[in-house]
Amino acid sequence: MNERVGTSVLRLTGISKVYGEGPTRVDALRPTTFEARAGEVVAIVGPSGSGKSTLLTIIGLINPPTAGSLLINGEPVITDGVAVTNLTTMRRRELGYVFQRSNLIPFLNAEENVRLALEIDGVPAGQARGRARELLESLGLAKRLGALPGKLSGGEQQRVAIARAMIHQPSVVLADEPTAALDSGRGRQVMELFRDSAHAHGAAVLVVTHDHRTLDLVDRVLEMEDGVLSEKQPD
Amino acid sequence: MMDLAVRDIRNDLSRFLLTAAGLGMLMSVVLAMTGIYNGMVVDATVLPDTYGGDLWVVQKGTQGPFAESSRVPALLADRVRAVPGVARTRSYMTLNVQHELEDGETLRFMLAGLSWPDDLGNALPLAQGRALRQPHYELVADRALGLPVGASLRLGRDDYTIVGVTSGMVSSSGDPLVFASVSDALRIQNDLASEALRLERESRVSRVRRSPYGRDPASLARAGSAAPLPVTAPPPVTAILVDVAAGSDVEAVKASLQGWPDISVYTIDEQRELLVRGVIDRARRQIGLFRALLVLISAIVMGLIVYTMTLDKMLSLSLLKLLGAKQRVILRLILEESLLLGVSAYLVALLIGELAFDLFPRRVLVQDMDRLALLGVILGLSIAAGMVGLRKALAANPNEVLAS
Repeated sequence: MNERVGTSVLRLTGISKVYGEGPTRVDALRPTTFEARAGEVVAIVGPSGSGKSTLLTIIGLINPPTAGSLLINGEPVITDGVAVTNLTTMRRRELGYVFQRSNLIPFLNAEENVRLALEIDGVPAGQARGRARELLESLGLAKRLGALPGKLSGGEQQRVAIARAMIHQPSVVLADEPTAALDSGRGRQVMELFRDSAHAHGAAVLVVTHDHRTLDLVDRVLEMEDGVLSEKQPD
Repeated sequence: MMDLAVRDIRNDLSRFLLTAAGLGMLMSVVLAMTGIYNGMVVDATVLPDTYGGDLWVVQKGTQGPFAESSRVPALLADRVRAVPGVARTRSYMTLNVQHELEDGETLRFMLAGLSWPDDLGNALPLAQGRALRQPHYELVADRALGLPVGASLRLGRDDYTIVGVTSGMVSSSGDPLVFASVSDALRIQNDLASEALRLERESRVSRVRRSPYGRDPASLARAGSAAPLPVTAPPPVTAILVDVAAGSDVEAVKASLQGWPDISVYTIDEQRELLVRGVIDRARRQIGLFRALLVLISAIVMGLIVYTMTLDKMLSLSLLKLLGAKQRVILRLILEESLLLGVSAYLVALLIGELAFDLFPRRVLVQDMDRLALLGVILGLSIAAGMVGLRKALAANPNEVLAS
């Protein structure tokens, strides 16, 4: 288990997102306060259009909030809706992303896709290669290191994507419907992988999902409805 | 940082190579145009370069013999030779010949006269055989004519034997050059059919009979030099070439000759200048415009290709941005691919040039500077095309990854 586990890695305070104004105003995300700790897997569920993706893009530092503050690892990133640090650097170092479709770079093989996340941050190629191989081997992909994404199965692609999201040991991993394209068995494998990786790497994993079959594998479930985020009580 | 451009190319190598081959073919046309122009200049100056001579004496008021037609009496060579400072004079003449062989094939060439015995053609770039050894019935022909040493060619009413074969000797219009003695060239030029000769002879007899000198030859002696004599001079030549004696001043000799009222005099450099400026200037401008058009088309094609290549990668570029890649990572990816495409196209163009330009019917002369200039143009086009792609690439939105 990673020594960071249990520490607060993500804190949102009064984060909101409003599109338009006057009669066309849409409150995509109402003021939201939320905290995630290293090692925990948090599922965010809710109907389409409820604001899940908006929340994800704000935490992913892709979409600026209208108001509120965001801290990663205790460091202020957004204060009163304004970025106070270099968001590109924060994305590179503190965040990892996994998507419904693996979105691997098609012209890079499995190992290159994973080590790219390190090399982008200036890690020497040899060191990055070693770490990528080690991680992929731990995910059961030792024989698929040189395979291009098109030659990998859906489950293999998602494991490579998770490796890419974890390789640089980010504080927060954001996953958008990561099991939607997988069958039930592989979906559970992916969620187990998130859980294991979160503990191993000391990251908080936020999973936006519609897949209720895997919710028993997460630590917390948050529900989003009409832009309001709330803790979902166990059924 | 791994080389993303090389990996992208490697992923679809056949497409990249096909694109480079297409662009390379386009570039080879640009190179060919340059080579054709250089070849035209060299071809155009083959004759003055071969004949040499410090001064060229031509018909008064003309810029001949390359820029326009010129006729001077062959005996002018003797008058010019008497001028102080003149070491040697040679007659110069050319004529275009189109000859049909027995098998129906047409030979077209320019016949150029060598001033026997001063000029036997020893300065010609002989690839086979020898220069002229006798004043009649021998030819030195260029390889482009397609006839070997020993071949016989019937011109006029005589058979001529090819005794030597040159390489790269063509006229400004691209026809191969064939050299004969000036007297043979004049004979071929003035050859008349037997019936034409008979009629001309009858005509002359008739004219003499009608003339007072024909009826009373003694009146010719009485009239002296004032008599309106029918001209019966030898056939004219095109120009007289003057070699100035060692130690004599070319300009001084030229000045002496320029005082004569029946001739114009040019230095060989002036003749070359007249030739290049007058004869091939229009072709040069035409080729220049065509080349500029090709470069423009290449620029548009290359820009479109790089733009399309960028569009194909937009999701990957968005992902790179989402992962926090710096702008220079994306800049390097796009520009490097564009430059690799340009350089590959350049190599294809060079390869096509090496393999195909020798097969062209006219000389295609590509020099190192032309190759360097093309490389410069291609690098410029690659960077410009890369900028087109880069503009699109930098607009890639990380949100696209989530929306995909």
